[in-house]
Amino acid sequence: MLKIYFREATQHPAPLAVFRILFGLLMLYALLRFWANNWIETLYINPKFHFKYFGFSWVNDLGVFNYLIYIICIISCIGIILGYRYRISIISFFLIFTYIELIDKTTYLNHYYFTSCVAFLLCFLPAASYFSLDAHKNKEVSKIPSWNIDALRFFLCIVYFYAGIAKINSDWLIEAQPLSIWLTTKYDIPILGQILQFKFIHYAASWFGMLYDVFIPFFLCFKKTRKVAFLFVILFHVMTKIFFPSIGMFPFIMIFCALIFFDDSIHKKWIIQLKNIIKMIKNFIKKNKIQNTKYADVSYKNHSLVLPVFICFFIFQLIFPLRYLAYPGELFWNEEGYRFSWRVMLMEKKGYTTFKIKDSVTNKIFYVDNSDFLSSFQEKQMSFQPDFILEYAHYLAKHFENQGHKNIQVFADSFVALNGRPSQRFIDPNVDLYKKIESFKHKTWILPLKDEIYGL
Amino acid sequence: MQVFFKKNTCSLFNMKKYTLLFISYTLLFLNHCSTDLEETIETDIITPSNDVTEPVNNTSNSNNTSSQNTTTTTSFDHKGMLINWADNIIIPAITDFQNSLIQLQETANTFTNDPAAENLTSLREIWLTSYSKWQYVEMFDIGVAEEIYFKNRMNLYPVNTGKVEDNISNQNYDLEISSNFSSQGFSTIDYLLFGIDDNDDNIISKYSDTNLNYGTYLSDIVDKMVNLTNQVKAQWESSYRQSFIESTDNTATSSINLIVNDFIFYFEKGYRANKFGIPAGVFSGNPLPDRIESYYGEKYSKILALEAGNAIDQFFNGKNYLDSSEIGLSLNQYLDYLEDDVENKLSEKINNQLKIAKDKILELNDNFKIQIEDNNNQMLATYDAIQKTVVLLKVDMLQKLNISVDYADADGD
Repeated sequence: MLKIYFREATQHPAPLAVFRILFGLLMLYALLRFWANNWIETLYINPKFHFKYFGFSWVNDLGVFNYLIYIICIISCIGIILGYRYRISIISFFLIFTYIELIDKTTYLNHYYFTSCVAFLLCFLPAASYFSLDAHKNKEVSKIPSWNIDALRFFLCIVYFYAGIAKINSDWLIEAQPLSIWLTTKYDIPILGQILQFKFIHYAASWFGMLYDVFIPFFLCFKKTRKVAFLFVILFHVMTKIFFPSIGMFPFIMIFCALIFFDDSIHKKWIIQLKNIIKMIKNFIKKNKIQNTKYADVSYKNHSLVLPVFICFFIFQLIFPLRYLAYPGELFWNEEGYRFSWRVMLMEKKGYTTFKIKDSVTNKIFYVDNSDFLSSFQEKQMSFQPDFILEYAHYLAKHFENQGHKNIQVFADSFVALNGRPSQRFIDPNVDLYKKIESFKHKTWILPLKDEIYGL
Repeated sequence: MQVFFKKNTCSLFNMKKYTLLFISYTLLFLNHCSTDLEETIETDIITPSNDVTEPVNNTSNSNNTSSQNTTTTTSFDHKGMLINWADNIIIPAITDFQNSLIQLQETANTFTNDPAAENLTSLREIWLTSYSKWQYVEMFDIGVAEEIYFKNRMNLYPVNTGKVEDNISNQNYDLEISSNFSSQGFSTIDYLLFGIDDNDDNIISKYSDTNLNYGTYLSDIVDKMVNLTNQVKAQWESSYRQSFIESTDNTATSSINLIVNDFIFYFEKGYRANKFGIPAGVFSGNPLPDRIESYYGEKYSKILALEAGNAIDQFFNGKNYLDSSEIGLSLNQYLDYLEDDVENKLSEKINNQLKIAKDKILELNDNFKIQIEDNNNQMLATYDAIQKTVVLLKVDMLQKLNISVDYADADGD
């Protein structure tokens, strides 16, 4: 049974082809939008210093060449959409997109990580075996093993489900935080703005959000509930876009990706319609009738390495988000194991962190003006995330050492507020951060949250 | 905890019904703005119709204005807050400041025409009055004020004395360029009235010799300040006030966000760092007493700092500029609205901390230079007390208001 599932080609490739085209289009738009907002310059080129992911400090900003790799990335998107030299296109997209994201963790977003993961999967999937320029040139495949599509569905299920269980905590469900803060201050949304002032709306939204995330994967999987579930997908993500305009492309990516749950009949219909349009355009241009492409009954066979790679990928995806369980203390406060775990729009955290540079021999001290070194966006992100604080402390120490200062010690004066709680001291002010080294170990110099958050 | 569970069960009970309500409203809304979701719709339906033609002194009623429209009883009157800021705080402060500057201009002309000791004395008095009133204007770095670098051209210190002397001896200077921002404004007048020579007699004799051109430069500087202030005032008298009070949204460019950002920036930089931190050596390791405000006038640094503290208190609490017993809507009231069920209110914490800082400032020497040289630890302690308010404003308050700090422009999730 399992053997047949993994070996036999039983599934029409149309859903994968539609997924490829939509993914390519969205990414093309996202890249152009990123460029148009001048973020390549403000987020990557302008800052003097970049916050690195642990283990990826070798990923450097390329200066003006950022634009060059962006152009290659955009060309890759067009290749993905058209299915032209698909394999090269998707691999180059995956590598470049991921590289850009790795330059600076200040810009970390769950949906960038999501995009990298999907692109990774697409590198191995026969997404251009049907309705693509590649297939047009060679031969169109009519059947692929169904796990090729199920892999994407499963990945979406993981994302939703983990995002859902992350919301099962006392702040989210019992205090309706952070939604209380976020929704009350959206008073400027027409009509809704007034309703958002009611406390019970914050509770309704919190509970609805949690239930949606946990259950939507199941409702999307079952044929009976799929259509209604998809309406909820649209509703939910459009709502998030209205309430939180700054979440960027995320709602659209999730809505379009969820189409993969529908069976091939609807995807086939869309492709036939697309084909008709293309035919019409071609006929209009060339004036001579073009014959339909030959439609051979060919089955696709995955390379034998793909399955093991996918199994590893999914084991990683299932385990990695749970790594927070290995750390003591409050996850939201310490943020040890917070990223890459599908914790989306989960907390409201603000910080204010300044650094005291001390000469341990003369005891002379001075404070650093953060705006001398960081962009306002970097300063904002640094102020409440311990790994940023540590990395920046080391950067400052080295900077002042190079300026000729001696016996340098770096102390953080840090205050953070979480989900509407009063601010409290965040980092032990007596710990010389220059002596602390980044690792996966628990950071003992984070002062514990003076409150308890219950839940998963 | 019991209270929380009560809330919880209540919401569960109502959830189904209200979720449906929620959804139907969303669908309704989608019909309206399906064209572009990223654009917020400009129409202002939140705020009740305040009487905008007769704005001054009616904000004490603004708490009641919501009764005009029964559906808005739950919402804070954001427009009322903006009206209070514009009509009872910002515009009166600028008007008062402008009048004092015109007086300064007249006194300066009298003095340059007749450099007598009593004219110098009255010029110094008017200068101090005007400088004090400026403390109520500096924080509102918005509109034309921001475009013309108002605050940098009026009160950048320390004054660049070398540049001032060069300008005076060369008689060839362009006050519009940024390299001349530190050789104009109040700190330059401070130098011109107190610092160009050892004692008053010598100072007066420098003005008496018209070939030295000190009088000309003084007049030019004062004229420029009047001119800049007129520009700022003129904008507030134009349609700008109306668009200011209409911009009630919570977006990066709306009036509330801009003013809150200005206020916090001023508190952190113009007040905390410039007046206390930098001279006390917080950022340099060594005390820099020559960085105090009004370095040459010597005994005015504390007076000016207290005025600035008063301006901060006035703005935060919504006190009318002309009559501080009259209180309108401001951040204090907005925070109370957002924290209706909290015992230890943030607005009280902020006011307490402002009070603590004020008491510490009152204990300082009138001349911060002497204070820093004699006992800098007391100066540093004052700085620490002010710093505590920065945390409350920048972390706690901004979280409650859900306003982001300047231009951190990127997506978030």
